[in-house]
Amino acid sequence: MQDAITTLINTSDTQGKYLDESSLNNLQDYFRSGELRARAAMTISANASTIVTRTTAKSLLYTDITAPGGNMYTCRRYAACVRDMDYFLRYATYAMLAGDPSILDERVLNGLRETYNSLGVPVGATVRAVQAMKEVTTEMLGADAGKEMGLYFDHICTGLS
Amino acid sequence: MSIITQAIANADREARYLSQGELNALRSFFEDGDQRLRIASILTANIEKIVEKGSEAFWQRCQITPSNSGNPTFRASCLRDQGWYVRLITYAIVVGDIDPIQTSGLKGAKEMYRSLEIPLRNVVECMRCLKDAALDLLTLEDRAEVGPYFDYLIQGMTP
Repeated sequence: MQDAITTLINTSDTQGKYLDESSLNNLQDYFRSGELRARAAMTISANASTIVTRTTAKSLLYTDITAPGGNMYTCRRYAACVRDMDYFLRYATYAMLAGDPSILDERVLNGLRETYNSLGVPVGATVRAVQAMKEVTTEMLGADAGKEMGLYFDHICTGLS
Repeated sequence: MSIITQAIANADREARYLSQGELNALRSFFEDGDQRLRIASILTANIEKIVEKGSEAFWQRCQITPSNSGNPTFRASCLRDQGWYVRLITYAIVVGDIDPIQTSGLKGAKEMYRSLEIPLRNVVECMRCLKDAALDLLTLEDRAEVGPYFDYLIQGMTP
């Protein structure tokens, strides 16, 4: 797992490069956005289940997927889906704090598409749900922090499709 | 590892969000960011000067050493390594952790210098001179931030 700082250091170190002006500026931007990130993480952590509930209501609940024959029918699969939404939110929050998506690749996306395919979980609906989660969190956090979280929700979607 | 990745790894192990306390620790790390970047940029801008002053002092203290034997390759390698160690120190300052020094600078370093037949005691002396040259450029407050990283390096290089 990497964050904005370690990624930059590792890249510089591999090239034997000193921290130049532009690297230092990037780090400064990251440090200065730290308060925003910490505050957003606090809000998400306090409202995680609300976010997941709203996301499900917005994107999945009233579609065919919850009806008999759909992949969220019966409750067992419904619960598994909600749990995955929980995971997406938590890992996107980690990545947002770190300012780096590598934790999503390592702990969430690695093998996820294959798993979903073998379980018959529709990727299209999952992507729509993650996009809905992006909207729900942006409403809750405001535009700036919402945009930052959006980067990592989009990363999940890209990794799935 | 940084304090950030560390806190995230801890939270992930327990499948939870970061606690208020952990987030506050990150906050103060972010707040000190400007100081750390300022120090790193002072050192980076003065690498040549630091290495030059460090080498002068080193060759006075250890006159019989491969890099002072008149062999230009040895000399150049010594200057290059010093520059690299200062670089690793700037990384450590920025990330607020000894990890870059440990991973890129110390793991295997003793064995390497031994196989190159460079006396470790001289390497250590060289790092001490480098430390003095670097700290000379800094305010008292900044020295307190940088000194320990050099000390860690010196400690790790001591035979």
